Amino acid sequence: MHQNTTPTQLERRGIMAAGSEALNTVKATEPTQWLAPSPELSENARAALKSLFSSLRPFTPKSPFNELLVEEDFDAEQIWQQIDIQSQPLISSLRREVKRYEKNPEEIKTLKVVVEGEEKVLESQNEEKDSEDFDEESDDEEEGDDVEENEDDDEDEEEEEEENVEEEEEGDGEKNEIEDGFFNVKALGKYLKTTEAEEYENESEEGADEDGDEKDEEDEAQELMNLDESEDDGDGKGARYEDFFGKKELSTHKKEISIHDKDLSTHEREQLKLKAEIEQREKTMLDPKTWTMQGEVTAAKRPPNSALEVDLDFEHNVRPAPPITEEVTLAIEDMIRKRIEQDLFDDVQRAPALPTKAPRERKEMDENKSKKGLAEDYEREYVQKMNPDSGPLSSKDEQKHEAEMLFRKLCLKLDALSHFHFTPKPVIEDMSIQDNVPALAMEEIAPVAVSDAAMLAPEEVFSGKGDIKEEAELTQAERKRRRANKKRKFKVTAKKMAKKPRDSNKDIIEAM
Amino acid sequence: MQSNEAPSSMEVKAVANGAGSASGTLPPKPSFEPLKAHEMSDGQVQFRKVSVPPHRYTPLKKAWMQIYTPIYEQMKIDIRMNLKGRKVELKTRRDTPDISHLQKCADFVQAFMLGFDIIDAIALLRLDELYVESFEIKDVKTLRGEHLSRAIGRLSGKGGRTKFAIENATKTRIVIADTKIHILGSFANIKVARDSLCNLILGSPAAKVYSKLRAVTARLAERF
Repeated sequence: MHQNTTPTQLERRGIMAAGSEALNTVKATEPTQWLAPSPELSENARAALKSLFSSLRPFTPKSPFNELLVEEDFDAEQIWQQIDIQSQPLISSLRREVKRYEKNPEEIKTLKVVVEGEEKVLESQNEEKDSEDFDEESDDEEEGDDVEENEDDDEDEEEEEEENVEEEEEGDGEKNEIEDGFFNVKALGKYLKTTEAEEYENESEEGADEDGDEKDEEDEAQELMNLDESEDDGDGKGARYEDFFGKKELSTHKKEISIHDKDLSTHEREQLKLKAEIEQREKTMLDPKTWTMQGEVTAAKRPPNSALEVDLDFEHNVRPAPPITEEVTLAIEDMIRKRIEQDLFDDVQRAPALPTKAPRERKEMDENKSKKGLAEDYEREYVQKMNPDSGPLSSKDEQKHEAEMLFRKLCLKLDALSHFHFTPKPVIEDMSIQDNVPALAMEEIAPVAVSDAAMLAPEEVFSGKGDIKEEAELTQAERKRRRANKKRKFKVTAKKMAKKPRDSNKDIIEAM
Repeated sequence: MQSNEAPSSMEVKAVANGAGSASGTLPPKPSFEPLKAHEMSDGQVQFRKVSVPPHRYTPLKKAWMQIYTPIYEQMKIDIRMNLKGRKVELKTRRDTPDISHLQKCADFVQAFMLGFDIIDAIALLRLDELYVESFEIKDVKTLRGEHLSRAIGRLSGKGGRTKFAIENATKTRIVIADTKIHILGSFANIKVARDSLCNLILGSPAAKVYSKLRAVTARLAERF
């Protein structure tokens, strides 16, 4: 960007004059003429913009541009950006000024006229611009980019001028009974509109402030102050003098309101009181209840450490633990010592499990072929049914019997081992095969281990005649003899076998 | 005073007093003794014939006297073997006390022919309520080839253990003849044994059958 030297006063005036001419021509053109692009119109527009820009330049010390660069090379977008850079801080500063004037209307009178010529020029054009502003606004969307910046600047200036004018008129307005130096109904109305507009611009949540219609006339002024303060807080644009020191005025305002009360009739006062009460009640109803009044509240739903502040009352199902004092510990220790001496511990003993019913004897699966026939089985069952006393000889009893027998034998042997004066038990006749036990064994007094009675004489072990030879010692002749004997014996038995069945069959047939 | 005395003997007694009977014209009621088996069907002899399968021929020869003695002496039924026709023939005698004896003997011989032992079959003579039930494996489930062989093996168990276990538990006797199964015992016991055998045929392992058997027999035993 090329540097511009700051123009001299004269040059500036010249530029201003040219600019105002251009502005007039721009305004004079009919809306339809804007449809077709013409270089004349664009030149005029550029000149007008440039003049406006320069006129506003003194108010924007921080702007990077000294002049608006509107040569032919510059695009609409570029021109707009330059204007935008200048106007943004300007708008915010203007807003601040307006607010300040709203709060302190007297200051308007002390307003210094910075550049007389410009002011006058602008003021003369004030009324003309009012009607045309609306036309130009409607053309905005249809036209090219050239005009838009022009009109935006106009609007901003219009607003500023209008508000300045109106604020000057504030002091001259008619007074109602309620109005005093601080309060003006009209100003209130306008203020409310602007705040609403600003709310939508800033997108700040101040919905509570919009019920201005329903408020009491008493409280409106107070709320004005509150609104201002809360607005500022909401924007977050830093602490202000009013924040800290403004409150003093609040208190004075309050006093004035209370004095103000006496001017109202009793009926009105009562009405106001009722309204206040209704308001209060409605508010409590509509607001969400405090967390203590809500049902079940988790820790997340209530503010931190709030349960400590509230006096909670709930049932303790547990007896509180007894406070431990020295006496208590001494008593316990004494008891412990006594118990140890007495060996009297309260050990938990397992309760003996009583069998609910006699254990049912489980019949074991006998996988052997039953020695008794079916008839005997049923016979046994029948006898059991008829005589319950006969006592079922179950498998368990049989096993017991068997075990008893074995034990008796064992005891006999042990008794024989243990003493010399041994009297043998009476013999129970048992059809069991005994082998190699001589008859003398039972009557021998000497202990069994010592005596030779159990030992059989060699003749008893084997009684054979003649020369006994082993298999390997036999000669061939002897082997043949042996085989011949065998064959002879076999023949005899075979014959006997052959004879028998034939004879028996005959008998059977004859018997029938 | 007149006292009505019950007649002491079965003989016909004519009512002496005419005052006791309102209608004295009716003849006295006859009383008969029960018919003997021999006299039934107009004195004709009752026959039963039981055919002998070839595989039971030799065992029959060996155990003939054991069959003959109780039938002839205790049941009083004539019995003979028809060698040509391979049949055992039974006939009532004059002094056969009851007609049911003939049937019992026939059942006894039939049981022996099916394959039961003499000592087990004798129970049929002694007890009334014993029956023989026969069924085939294919009645339960159609099995072929190896499956059939395996089923038969399952029924008997190793060395006949399973069969004996069922026999002992249910107080029955079981004969497994290839695909035919015969059960000898009382009605309820037959049912239990049959259920166990059917389960074995259908494929359940022996241990499962044992456990069921144990439960059922315990219940049966408790009932009495």
